Amino acid sequence: MGRLYDELSKDYRFKEGLKTCINCGTCTAICPAAEFYKYDPRKVVDTVQRKDESEIEALLRSETIWYCGECMSCVTRCPRGNGPGLVIMALRNLSARLGYFTSSEKGRQLWPLTKTLNNNILHTGYCIHPSTFDCDEYPEAGPITRWVMDNKEEVFGRLGANYGGEGPGALRRIPQKDLDELQAIFDETGGTERMEAVERASREKAAELGMDFDEYTKYTFEHCSVGHFNNE
Amino acid sequence: MVNRNPVIAVIGAGIAGLEAARQLSALGYSPVLIEKAPAIGGHVAQWNRLFPDLGPAAELIDTLKKQTAKVSTLLSTEIASINRLKDGFNLVLSNGSSLLCQAVLFATGFQLFNAARKEEYGYGIYDRVITNRDLEAWFNTRQDRRVDHPKAVGFVHCVGSRDVKAGNTQCSKVCCITAIKQAIELKEEFPDAEVYCFYMDLRLFGKKYEDFYIKAQRDCGIHFIRGRVSEVGEAIDGRVVVKAEDTLNGKPVKVTLDLLVLMAGIVCNPDAQHYARQIGVSVDDDGFLKSRDNLAAIVESSRPGVFFAGACTGAKTIPETLAEARSAALAIHHYFNKRS
Amino acid sequence: MIYQGKQKIWADYQKEIPDNHWFYVRSCIRQNFFPASEKYFLTICRDILGRDIYESEHHTTCAGIAYHCDTIPQETAMTVVARQFALMTEAGYDSLVTSCITSFGNYTEILETWREFPELEEKVREHLWKACRREFKKPRYIAHASDLVYKLRGEIAERARFQLVDRATGEPLRVVEHIGCHYSKMFPHKGVGGAEYPCVLSGMAEAWGGRVIDYPERRHCCGFGFRQYFVKANRGYSLSNTHKKFESMEPYHPDMIITNCPGCPYFLDRWQYVISEMNGKTYGRNGYGIPVLTYEELAGLVLGVDPWDLGLQVHQVAVEPLLDKIGIPYDPARKYLGMDEKKIMTPGLPTSLKCC
Repeated sequence: MGRLYDELSKDYRFKEGLKTCINCGTCTAICPAAEFYKYDPRKVVDTVQRKDESEIEALLRSETIWYCGECMSCVTRCPRGNGPGLVIMALRNLSARLGYFTSSEKGRQLWPLTKTLNNNILHTGYCIHPSTFDCDEYPEAGPITRWVMDNKEEVFGRLGANYGGEGPGALRRIPQKDLDELQAIFDETGGTERMEAVERASREKAAELGMDFDEYTKYTFEHCSVGHFNNE
Repeated sequence: MVNRNPVIAVIGAGIAGLEAARQLSALGYSPVLIEKAPAIGGHVAQWNRLFPDLGPAAELIDTLKKQTAKVSTLLSTEIASINRLKDGFNLVLSNGSSLLCQAVLFATGFQLFNAARKEEYGYGIYDRVITNRDLEAWFNTRQDRRVDHPKAVGFVHCVGSRDVKAGNTQCSKVCCITAIKQAIELKEEFPDAEVYCFYMDLRLFGKKYEDFYIKAQRDCGIHFIRGRVSEVGEAIDGRVVVKAEDTLNGKPVKVTLDLLVLMAGIVCNPDAQHYARQIGVSVDDDGFLKSRDNLAAIVESSRPGVFFAGACTGAKTIPETLAEARSAALAIHHYFNKRS
Repeated sequence: MIYQGKQKIWADYQKEIPDNHWFYVRSCIRQNFFPASEKYFLTICRDILGRDIYESEHHTTCAGIAYHCDTIPQETAMTVVARQFALMTEAGYDSLVTSCITSFGNYTEILETWREFPELEEKVREHLWKACRREFKKPRYIAHASDLVYKLRGEIAERARFQLVDRATGEPLRVVEHIGCHYSKMFPHKGVGGAEYPCVLSGMAEAWGGRVIDYPERRHCCGFGFRQYFVKANRGYSLSNTHKKFESMEPYHPDMIITNCPGCPYFLDRWQYVISEMNGKTYGRNGYGIPVLTYEELAGLVLGVDPWDLGLQVHQVAVEPLLDKIGIPYDPARKYLGMDEKKIMTPGLPTSLKCC
C-alpha cells in the first residue's frame, strides 16, 4: 500500500471533495457538528491537504473524523468547490479498510452500525425494518412507536401498507431472489469484504479490551465518554 | 491611404476614458467619447471619498471634466454594433449615427458583481443587507433608510470574488481597502457602533493602505474576524444574523447586526465583452478583455488599432487607471506614427 | 423581508420535472414510520390526478443510509443503485422518482460522479453484470416525490376541500418548511428554488393557502447525522440540532412544520417529545407540540382525506389542534383502530407533551 494520501486520492469522493483549501472557514461556520462537537471541518481538510503521512494516520485513528453528520451543508458554500463532508467519507472508508477505526471510541461504533444496517439490507432488503427494530434501543421514538411496533399487522394494515406481503406496497416482503442479487452485489463490489474487515478488526479490539464480543458490540453502541462536546 | 487626422473612438467616459481623451487631445488628436450614461465620470462620480488620502471623488471628476471640456462627447449613447474595416472601424450608435474611426480605445470599466446572486447573504431579501455601492451612495446623499443609527455593523469581504460558485475566482483587489475605509468612515459617523470586518485575507498592497488597517485597529476599535461569512439570516426584529468561523480561534461565531455591508466585487462590463467579440478581440479566462501581454503591453490588444485602459482588463485602482489611460494614448500615438 | 427577492431567485432554479410516467422507489424510513404517506402519494398521483407511476416489487433499498453511515464502500452503493436503474429500464421508464431525500441525493450524486468520471460508470456496469446479469440505462430525469407534488400543486389546489387558513381568524396558517439536506445542498440546481430558498415546499404551502415563515435556523440540518442517530451513544448530537431549530422558530409561533425528507419529520416530531420529557418545555400552545407533517399528509388533508387514513395518528405530536384550526373533521374514536375498524389497545401517553 502506498502513502495514505495516495490511497485517499483513489476515492472518488476525495477527488470531488478536495480541490484546494484556503482555510476561509465557510464550512465550519455552518457545520452542525462544529457547533456541538470538538470538530472543525476546515482543520480536517487543511491537515489532509498538507499530505503529512503521520498527521493523516493520526486523523484516521482519531475521534475527529467520526463527528460529521454528512449533511453536506459545507458543499453548498465552499468558494473553492471543496466538500469537507466528502473528504470525511473518504477518510472514514480508508479508516474502515485499514482497521484504524478501532483506535477511537466513535470509530469503534462502526461495528454495531455495520452489523445492524448491512444485515438488515441483506436479510430484508431494507436499511431499517420493523422486524429488527427494538423499541428498547430507541426510547426517544416515543410511546407511539411502541404502539405501532406492538401492533404491527393491525396498524400497518390500517395504514395501507403491505406488511410482509407479496407484490408491491410499503413494507412488502422483498423476494429472496432479489435479496440474493443484493448479496451478489455485496460480494462482487467489496461490500462483503468490508464487513469481514470491520468485524475482524473489531474482534481483535474486543479481545484486546478483554471483552466478550457481544458485550463489546453492546458497549460500543451505548457508551459515550465525557469530552466529545464543546461544553465538556 | 493614410489618414492625416485619425479619429479615435473612446468607449466610456469614466476616468479612464476622460484621462485618455485629455492626453490624446494634448497630442493633437480628435478622440470621440461615447458614454451610455447621461453624465460623464463613470463609477468614480458616484463615490464619496477616495483612498489613500480621503480626498473627495468629486474633485477628481471636476478636474477631468474641465480638462476634457472641448472633447467631442456623446452622452446617453450606446453602441448598437461595431465592425472592423480594412483601415479602421465603424461604430453604429444608438442615436442612429455612424462613427468611422481608425482606432478604438476600450475604457468600459467594470460592472459591480450582482450581490443578489450570493443568495445566502440575502441581498434584496433581508432589509438590513446593503452593498459597498449602497453605502458609498449613503455617504454622498445621507438618504438610505436602511442606514439608521446602527449599533452593530458588519462588512463582508469577497462577495462575488475568489468564489467558484459566484462564477468569479479572481480577487477584486480594491474591496479590502474600501471595506476598511468605509468601516472607519462609518465608525466616525456612529462612534458607539461595533464594527466587524469578516475577511479571508486582507489585501492592502497599495501606497499607505496598511495605515488604514492600523488606524482601524488602534483608533477605531474595529473588530477583524478572519473567517468568510457563510450565511446570513433574519431575526424576528429584522436584525441580521451572520455565521462565520473565527479561524484564528478555531470556533464558529454567530453575530447579530443592525446593518450588513457586502463588498461586491469587480467583474468585466458585459457590454465590453460583447463589443470585443464583434471585432475579434479575445476575452481572457478571467472574463476580462485580453491584453497583448499582461506585463509589457497591458494597454494593447492583440488586434491592431484596439487599445485598453482601466478596469476592462482587470480590477484597477484609480492611479493605475489614470496611468494606463495616458499609456494607451501614447500607444495610440505610436500606432498612428508607425502607419504614416 | 422582501418577498420579491426570493421569487427572483426561485426563477433561476426551475428544474425540469416531467409530468407523467414515473418509476417509483420507496423509502426505508418512510415505510417504517409514514407508510400511509407513500400510499397517498400514489393515490393522489394515480387515482386523483390520473398519472402513471409504476412500482416494481423487485426494488430494494438504495442503501443510502448504509452509504452515509460508511458501512459499505462506494462501489457497493453505486451497484445497488445501478440495479434499481436496471429495474427501471426493464420496466420501460426513463424517469425515476424517489420517496426518500437521501435516495434523491444519492442517485443524483452517483449520476454526477459518473458524468465526471465515466470510467467509474463502466466499472459499475461490469459489477452489475457479474453480480446479477443486469444492464441499465441511466434515468433521464430524477425527481423527488415532493418535486412531483410541487409540480401538481395547482391541480391539487383546484380539488382542495380545505385551505391552510385558521378558520377562527381567517389568517393564513404560519407554516415552517423544512427541506432535507440532501435535496439541494450538494447540487443546488437539482432542487427547485436552489439551496438557499428552496421553494418546493413553500410553493405547496402557499398554493394551498398558507404563509411560510422564515427564521434564522431555517436552513439548518435537523441533526439526523446518520450514525449520530443510529448509534445510541451519539443521539445527544441529533437532539441538540433539532432543539436549536425549535428555539429559533419559537418566537414566530408556527402552526405547523412540513418537511420533504423521511428522517426529518421523525426527528422534528420525536425530539419534541424528548424535550418535553427532559425539561417540560413544549413549543405549541397549551402544552401541545407543533405538528409535523409530510407533504403527502398535507396534500391529503387539503384534499379531504380522513386524517387517520393518512396516518397522522402515528405521529407523537398531536395533530388535533391543527385539524381544529383548519376545520377538518375527524373522529377521535377511530384514531387508534386497527384494520377493518377493529378495536385494539391504545398507545401510552407521554408524561409531559399533551397528546390526544
